[in-house]
Amino acid sequence: MTDGTDHQPMPIDVANFDDPHLQVAAVDPERAERAIAVYFFIGMVGMGVFGAAYWQNWKPWTLGLSLGVGLFFIGFGLSAWGKYLMPQGPFTEARHALHSSLAERDAIAAALTERTGVVVRRRSMLLGLLGAGLGIFGIAGLGFPLLRSLGPLPGKALTKTNWRKGSLLVDGNGRAIHRDEIDPGGLVTVFPAGYENNDATLAIDQTVLIRAQTGPLVTEPGRATWAPDGYVAYSKLCTHAGCPVGLYEKELRLLVCPCHQSMFNIDNGAVPQFGPAPRPLPQLPLYIDESGFLRSQSGFDQPVGPGYFER
Amino acid sequence: MSPVPIPRTKREATEARGPYGRVGQIIGELDDRLGVAKGGRTFLDKIFPDHWSFMLGEIALYSFVVLIATGIFLTLYYEPSQTQLIYHGAYVPLRGQRVTAAYASTVDLSFSVRAGLLMRQMHHWAADVFLGSIVIHMARIFFTGAFRKPRELNWTIGMTLLVLSLSNGFIGYSLPDDLISGTGLRILFSIVLSIPFVGTYIAFFLFGGNYPGTIIIDRLYIIHVLILPAIIAGLIGAHLFLLVRQKHTQFPGGGRTEDNVIGSPMYPTFMAKTTGYLFMVTAAITLLGGLAQINPIWQFGQYQADKISYAVQPDWYMGWLDGALRIMPSWEFTAFGHTIPFVVLLPSVVFPGLIFTLCYAWPAIERRFTGDNEIHHLLDRPRDRPKRTAAGAAMIALMFVLLGASATDVLANFFQVSLNEVLWTFRILVLVVPPLVGIFVWRICIEMQGGGADIGKRKRAVLMSRSATGEYTTVPTAPQPDDEHDELEPIPVPVHIDLEPSGNGSDDSGVRTVTR
Amino acid sequence: MSRLRRAFSSRLLLPGAVVVGVALGGIIAFGGSATGASGGGAPASYGDSAIFYQYPPTSYVPAGQALFATFCSSCHGSRAQGTYRAPNLVGVGAGTIDFWVTTGRMPAENPNAIQAPRKPARLNDQQALEVAAFVNSLDPSKPGIPNVNVKDANLADGADLYSLNCAACHTITGAGDELAFGTYAPSLRAATVTQIAEAIRTGPGNMPRFSGNLTNAQVRDVVAYVAETIQHPANPGGFALGGVGPVAEGFVALLFGVGLLALVGYWIGERS
Repeated sequence: MTDGTDHQPMPIDVANFDDPHLQVAAVDPERAERAIAVYFFIGMVGMGVFGAAYWQNWKPWTLGLSLGVGLFFIGFGLSAWGKYLMPQGPFTEARHALHSSLAERDAIAAALTERTGVVVRRRSMLLGLLGAGLGIFGIAGLGFPLLRSLGPLPGKALTKTNWRKGSLLVDGNGRAIHRDEIDPGGLVTVFPAGYENNDATLAIDQTVLIRAQTGPLVTEPGRATWAPDGYVAYSKLCTHAGCPVGLYEKELRLLVCPCHQSMFNIDNGAVPQFGPAPRPLPQLPLYIDESGFLRSQSGFDQPVGPGYFER
Repeated sequence: MSPVPIPRTKREATEARGPYGRVGQIIGELDDRLGVAKGGRTFLDKIFPDHWSFMLGEIALYSFVVLIATGIFLTLYYEPSQTQLIYHGAYVPLRGQRVTAAYASTVDLSFSVRAGLLMRQMHHWAADVFLGSIVIHMARIFFTGAFRKPRELNWTIGMTLLVLSLSNGFIGYSLPDDLISGTGLRILFSIVLSIPFVGTYIAFFLFGGNYPGTIIIDRLYIIHVLILPAIIAGLIGAHLFLLVRQKHTQFPGGGRTEDNVIGSPMYPTFMAKTTGYLFMVTAAITLLGGLAQINPIWQFGQYQADKISYAVQPDWYMGWLDGALRIMPSWEFTAFGHTIPFVVLLPSVVFPGLIFTLCYAWPAIERRFTGDNEIHHLLDRPRDRPKRTAAGAAMIALMFVLLGASATDVLANFFQVSLNEVLWTFRILVLVVPPLVGIFVWRICIEMQGGGADIGKRKRAVLMSRSATGEYTTVPTAPQPDDEHDELEPIPVPVHIDLEPSGNGSDDSGVRTVTR
Repeated sequence: MSRLRRAFSSRLLLPGAVVVGVALGGIIAFGGSATGASGGGAPASYGDSAIFYQYPPTSYVPAGQALFATFCSSCHGSRAQGTYRAPNLVGVGAGTIDFWVTTGRMPAENPNAIQAPRKPARLNDQQALEVAAFVNSLDPSKPGIPNVNVKDANLADGADLYSLNCAACHTITGAGDELAFGTYAPSLRAATVTQIAEAIRTGPGNMPRFSGNLTNAQVRDVVAYVAETIQHPANPGGFALGGVGPVAEGFVALLFGVGLLALVGYWIGERS
């Protein structure tokens, strides 16, 4: 704009066109320019192939390869241009100290302290009341809705499963387990009848039934009747971090948790033999009813799964 | 300025634009309204130091850009819901299975949306690269002491970006509700449960009830696409603003002092290089996304709480936590009707809390130990700070050992050794390797300090010849083009370039100051 | 012409003879005793006929005995009764023997190894049947050698059953992984349809034995899922990186992603 008004003269650096700082960095600029042109061309071709691949709905790897090659060569050419065909410099600028003068600092400190002093002098009780009000707002007004409204209190939900006295053991399809069905060395994931499709309680009810042998298995003193005819049942929820313990090695008689490799011995009440699990898997006491189907004598004798404060 | 009359003829218009044509006219219009001319020129003249290690943060920045772009694409198709439906899509082994809408929409995105699989895979690879580049950038900042005054706040912002990005990555790959990521959510629930006093409450609040609940995917979705990205984007903005305001640090030498910045100007050099780098980062992620399969959730199936797969590891950036969980001894404290499962609490809550606290506090720790409260714009060479470098190396070694510990089963299978032995090996390694690495690195730094100014640099090649009597003579070879720079004195970025070559053919700085 | 004569000269004579001949041949070829219980307890029921279990003919027994004496008796004893080196094979069923021999695990090269690995089979399929016939003759037991009809399999049900029963050891992609104390679950990539069914029904080594809780149709679905989907996975996304998941993915992301980009940055930038 050349209107000539309020235009102050200022010192401005002017460089000559042949200033060495403005020369390009490349030793052979012509060759560099040709190379960059080739890169841009390959980039264009890559992008074009991507366009065709997308339009024709080719396989994902062709989309990725063409787009990747196209982008790469455009970027490579552009960076090469910036590195080799631009003024080589070096250029410098001054770092001005960030801090203001001492007088400015004093002025703002004074503004904060003295103005506050004017307002608050002999009115500190108001300040205290305001603070208390804001504090209560923070807790009740912000904290309560953000936390408490999110979900229910835990209550007894972690301690109880749906296994009761007389619960029929069924597999995931609702089929009851008959004593003659499972050969020794077999393993089934079971649920209390009626709960096999309940996603809400699937996690906590899941139980692994192992036919360890024929003939009863006594895992611990006082559990003589818990594993009739070699059928022993443990909670499938690992006591370490809650993964399903679905890995059974029948010759080692070990249940192994796939997540962090806790190993539970099925002969002694699933006491952890190795790995990080801190407690045995709770055992479900079983009995065989008159028709030969497996049922539970009661629920688990302790909460299943990993530990928590109220346990 | 007094308003200029609007020109009526073409010749008037051309004259009115002034010596810089349309560009000058646009600048004038913008400046009238926004006042951008002076700040704009300062911005264009901004000097960026050129060292290659300063580009690592750009990898993070540009992979974030890719994450946003691909993420927006994904949000147009993904359905964040745990509602059950019967799958009838393109992948045959799933047809007829009961799956959640989240899982079904992700499978459809992979098989039925054009470029959907590419976008999904690019998004996931970009997340892995994003976190990897944050870590390597953070290491560069640490080892060169760029976190010192006045940049402690930027270090804090960066650490927060790391923590938020870790969380967002974990949440992101849990969204498809597949068997493997769902297992991770179960472990998350158990970790929250282990917190004393408030654990069960927080877990139930977060999941809307006992595990698995019906709402966690919906909640994780909004955290993943809105809440955390907004905070991350804001913090990145603050991170870059501080960088611009405080100006970048630089290594000493070559005329660089605490009072200047030497390098390339923003326009055109840095813009060209960095835009090229943006394209190349995107290209690398695109090539990975197209050629290397990642997270093939159709092979894993819908998550169900009674199902589990083996060889289940979290994504690499969570590996250190998984490794800590695996090697921790099985300590659990029970008394007075309460239980504190240290076996989960220590490696998953206390340990990362300590690590992050240590990292956040490091600038203050270093200030306390060195008594150094000066402003630093020049960087350290890592060898000049042996203790800091050794501490950082020990931390990195610890992270790598824990990362290895999360793959105990895969390593045992690959090398055909007993799983139990591998686990015990890692329990020992995690205690032994970090201090050993620290001592080793410390010694290397001391050695390098005493090695002279040209240690670590490429030396001029030397020709050895032997005379007939057996004497060796050495002759230095001719210098390579890169070996000797004609070191020019740095000049300020010139405002005007005189396009007529000057008559006196000066070979030194042909910059003169005129008054206009 | 008498009625009898007319019958024998009727058009139905030839087809009738064929039918009778095939029936007789079938009985001769496949007739083998299928009686006897599985080890202990009442026989488990396998349900429907998606899988047909058959036994090698008793004519194979002498050849099997000779092969057994040469390749097996040094560890398992001349009557397969077992020694301190190897277990008792009496009553394990023909399918068990066929599995171990056709996968090459037996004859074992190192009897002291905690788990016999799959290797190129030393005895061919016919010889495996002969050995199975011999061992089965000592105490005929279930299961026989499964003949799986994968044609009508439901892959979705197979996937569902696989993820519940098999993925915990063999991984969801069938890659296999290390288990406790030096044992391992092998990769499923090389198993044939028959071997998969045999493994499920017999539970080799530490693998659980899936009997009455899986019907033949369900086993067929799992076998089809393994043979079709696990062994020919849909990898539209590119290189599968071994199918071990985030371990390999993290390695690739750090080495090829961040590493290569850092190298590019090294090219762009200066060295001080």
